[in-house]
Amino acid sequence: MPAGARYLNARVVRNEDARLLTGRALFVDDVQLPGMLHVAFVRSEYAHGRITSVDVSAARQRPGVAAVYTAEDLGAYLKPGPILVSPPPIPGLVFHPCTQLPLAKDKVRHVGEPIAMIVAESRYVAEDALRDVSVDIDPIDAIVDLEKGLAPGAPLIHEHLQSNAAAHVVQRKGDYAGVRGSADLIVRRRFLYDRGVSAAMENRAVAVQWNARAEELTIWDTTQAPIPIRNGLAQMLGLLESQVNVIAPFVGGGFGPKIMMFYPEELLLPWAAMRLNRSLKWTEDRQENFYATTQERGQVHDAEMALTKDGRILGVHDVFLFDTGAYDPYGLTIPINTQCTLLGPYDIPHYESEFTAVFTNKTIVTPVRGAGRQHGVFVSERLLDLAARELGVDRVEIRKRNLLGPDRFPVNHEIMFQDSAPLIYDSGDYLPTLEQAAEMIGYDAFVRDEQPKLRAAGRHVGIGVACYVEGTGIGPYEGARVTVEPSGKVRCATGVGTQGQGHFTVFAQLVADALGVDVEHVKVVTGDTREFHWGTGTFASRGAVVAGSACHAAAMAVREKILNLASAVLNVPKEQLELADGRVFVAVEPDRGLSLGELSAKANPLRGAVRPGTEPGLESTAYFGPDRGSTASGVHAMILEVDAETATVEIKRYLVVHDCGTIINPMLVEGQIHGGVAHGIGNAFYEQLVYDEQGQLLNASFMDYLIPTATDVPSIETAHRETPSPYNPMGLKGVGEAGCIPTGALFAQAVEDALAGSGVEITEIPLSPNRLFELIERAKEGRT
Amino acid sequence: MILNGTFTFNGPRAKVWELLQDPAVLAKALPGTKSLTKVGENSYEGVMKVSVGPMSAAEFAVNVELKDQVPPERFVMHVDGKGGVGFTKGTATIELLEIKDQAGPVTVMNYSSDMQIGGKIAAVGQRLLESVGKMMTKQALDALNAELKARL
Amino acid sequence: MIALDVSVNGVRYSREVEPRLLLSDFLRLDLGLTGTHVGCEHGVCGACTVLFDGEPVRSCIMLAVQADGHDLRTVESLASPTGELNPLQTAFRNAHGLQCGFCTPGFLMTLTAFLRDNPNPNDVEIRDALSANLCRCTGYHNIVEATKLACGRTLP
Repeated sequence: MPAGARYLNARVVRNEDARLLTGRALFVDDVQLPGMLHVAFVRSEYAHGRITSVDVSAARQRPGVAAVYTAEDLGAYLKPGPILVSPPPIPGLVFHPCTQLPLAKDKVRHVGEPIAMIVAESRYVAEDALRDVSVDIDPIDAIVDLEKGLAPGAPLIHEHLQSNAAAHVVQRKGDYAGVRGSADLIVRRRFLYDRGVSAAMENRAVAVQWNARAEELTIWDTTQAPIPIRNGLAQMLGLLESQVNVIAPFVGGGFGPKIMMFYPEELLLPWAAMRLNRSLKWTEDRQENFYATTQERGQVHDAEMALTKDGRILGVHDVFLFDTGAYDPYGLTIPINTQCTLLGPYDIPHYESEFTAVFTNKTIVTPVRGAGRQHGVFVSERLLDLAARELGVDRVEIRKRNLLGPDRFPVNHEIMFQDSAPLIYDSGDYLPTLEQAAEMIGYDAFVRDEQPKLRAAGRHVGIGVACYVEGTGIGPYEGARVTVEPSGKVRCATGVGTQGQGHFTVFAQLVADALGVDVEHVKVVTGDTREFHWGTGTFASRGAVVAGSACHAAAMAVREKILNLASAVLNVPKEQLELADGRVFVAVEPDRGLSLGELSAKANPLRGAVRPGTEPGLESTAYFGPDRGSTASGVHAMILEVDAETATVEIKRYLVVHDCGTIINPMLVEGQIHGGVAHGIGNAFYEQLVYDEQGQLLNASFMDYLIPTATDVPSIETAHRETPSPYNPMGLKGVGEAGCIPTGALFAQAVEDALAGSGVEITEIPLSPNRLFELIERAKEGRT
Repeated sequence: MILNGTFTFNGPRAKVWELLQDPAVLAKALPGTKSLTKVGENSYEGVMKVSVGPMSAAEFAVNVELKDQVPPERFVMHVDGKGGVGFTKGTATIELLEIKDQAGPVTVMNYSSDMQIGGKIAAVGQRLLESVGKMMTKQALDALNAELKARL
Repeated sequence: MIALDVSVNGVRYSREVEPRLLLSDFLRLDLGLTGTHVGCEHGVCGACTVLFDGEPVRSCIMLAVQADGHDLRTVESLASPTGELNPLQTAFRNAHGLQCGFCTPGFLMTLTAFLRDNPNPNDVEIRDALSANLCRCTGYHNIVEATKLACGRTLP
């Protein structure tokens, strides 16, 4: 980065806000096209069963209904969806790919699986027609419990397999079995960690326009991955990639499920639009979202940690079950994240982690913010807490004793990460982060002075400190094209979409610094395959790292062009030139220069040929693909009070000390952390998907699935530390998921601390006032 | 959804049994029943409108089969209901016991039912299903008892 | 079809609508005012909040015909005709009180009414006033800060 980078570590207000604040931003459901028809789906009401008949004749007769499609109508288009992420090459890995059909045929495997598609003149009429469709299903017993699902004789969800096991993976480092015998303490527990829906405020939507004359398909989609969607749909529909445009305009929150790709709706709307030669739109309603959009759910861990008597970890052995839902299109990203993130910032020389993924008759599971990392953190942080109690060592102290030191980097953990590369921590400095968090929350003084006083007064106030390391910024790559226009304004186009992270600002900051222009003069275009069609998408906290690095690289290439051309125009060696305030000028003679707009016009001559090996204009395209992901880290700390009678919880203080490498815009980083923490609080204490034994979701609405509100989430204090990543030129690391990764572990620790002496041990998340009450009562009975 | 209970009818068991087998009587007693007709030796078809929380007057097409009949002591009802907002499937076991009371014979009915409920009505009305079920059951049994007393 | 006569953002509209047309759909589809967003269609998330005779209501659980003879204000009425953000919108921008922006119109309309009636709320009152609007991106921290900024209380 050029000296004096004005926009690095700068609290720049966002370029995109004016449109969002005035209601002028385009979201997919805002798309209105001439003659547009509307789509609704008939969805399975049974979690598991054989379809014996689907009768759509009455629906087809209803006035206002243009078409009704079932699996029979799709012909060769009826194919299982692709596997989106191939499992990494881990020795001995077993994986059974079973993906969803666009419309169910013969069998249904979760409530909400789409069976028929209705196209009508309005969503109202389409929903009326839903009741005209008669579906007969012979129910089969549903699998909702992971252990029961694996028991012999359990009904098979995918009948070509021998069992409901979707995968089996073992990863090893060192020799846990060999070292176990020499441990002074072995702590062993069963842990349950459940999650829920991403609940972005915007539900999914797809709008399609088929221009039959130009043979061009335009799709507006609430996706986090417009480019792969474009490429996949083109292939499936027999079109050239260039005939398909996918636009992810403003997207109202992603959080993971919007990067599940080739959802039935994404596949069916373009297909139907081409057949009917009409524009179509489908918008999910909130209840549908609970079934039709992917989610994350539970894992069951049987884990043990072997330690010395001063609390040094010798090793960890973890065996767990992972709920993948009815199908497994996203491969094993989540459980592998769990395996890797369990190691945390600690020196764990021996590790054995084994998981079995299990099919269940519930919605498909794909990554939701955190993507399995919280499960791993919960296991290791809880085991450390329990070990600390047994050994009589303080919880912060036991963590300090096990942290990897700064001299250990890069740390090669030998097991494989989700990006198929070995898990290597690139940089980090864990002890100062932990110390800073402990100091900010006043840990020592609280434990020593304040807490005893509160306890004497009969109050149950607890403190917690939890650590994590998070793999971010993985490849494969992203690209960007930067152009200086004759007006002097700069355009930066990149393939990733945006769901609120501030890409229009963060990328502009990088480009503005490279070219010496004002950040408001950089117009960023994202998520439109017409503008940029090479890349993957936003996931795994990689947007700023990978796409940002590509924007930076493209801008620096344009900078070179500017200097070369200006040097020729001004007849001055380029080393003597400077870029600032939208101009390029001689450093010692600032008046001698020209504006970038003027230069860009000169770069596109009406007379005089462009010489071989050069290009017209001030434009460059660059790509960035890191060798591997960079690792961010952090510590969360919290003080909370438990009302032992009602089992309600009040968070008194919550703070995050976070290291995401070089920071571009601290205001946006804080925003990401705040949002993540709120999501984590939701998962820890309020949110839970409740299924009955036949796979019926009993709380498919915001009335009963509780998203935390402004009175449930406290103010969040944040502090930043920076250990730059060596894997990208700016030293960036990701931050999108950091806020929600250790929250469950932290809650468990703080609640247990608040109730110390009561015998309550927390080995599950989520809690809730009901569940906590039960645990408190059970502990009382255990003691009397 | 499990719904178990006991109800006392003010009349002899044989009469109670008769009423329970009469679709015209049941149609009037069961709240929300639009129609209920006998279509076979031991089977009935009907249409019911049920309100649960935010869903008012949700219509269900219902098939009922009576099995394992031991008149006038017990029978099992198999229910299969399907509607725009979901389905319901399950069984109810009815047992009748006659007791000689000072005022005359009374019939004690023990019922135990297990109904599986699915679809929208389960997803949105879950919290209310049990109380609505109890309420409908009570209303039906009270109405049957009134009819019984009227006929005696 | 039922006759509907309503004023939205100062403009009178006369339309014929189906009785079951939701107010949110009337605004978004019939009038093209897509700034009001639909997040849940069961009145919990508040993204669809508009002002109905000056008071915040959830347009997703109202019927368009209920607005007959009334005055509605949506998010599109907040900025000046030339697009300058009003002080509340400016405060949101300066305090980073929005990320994806989907819930934002609902918060803005709720706060427009709340701050009009409570020009100097404390933190607890602010959080309480916002407790019926859901946001999944911001964790509410900066929405509270934006509200304080809008009341003339500076950021720390």
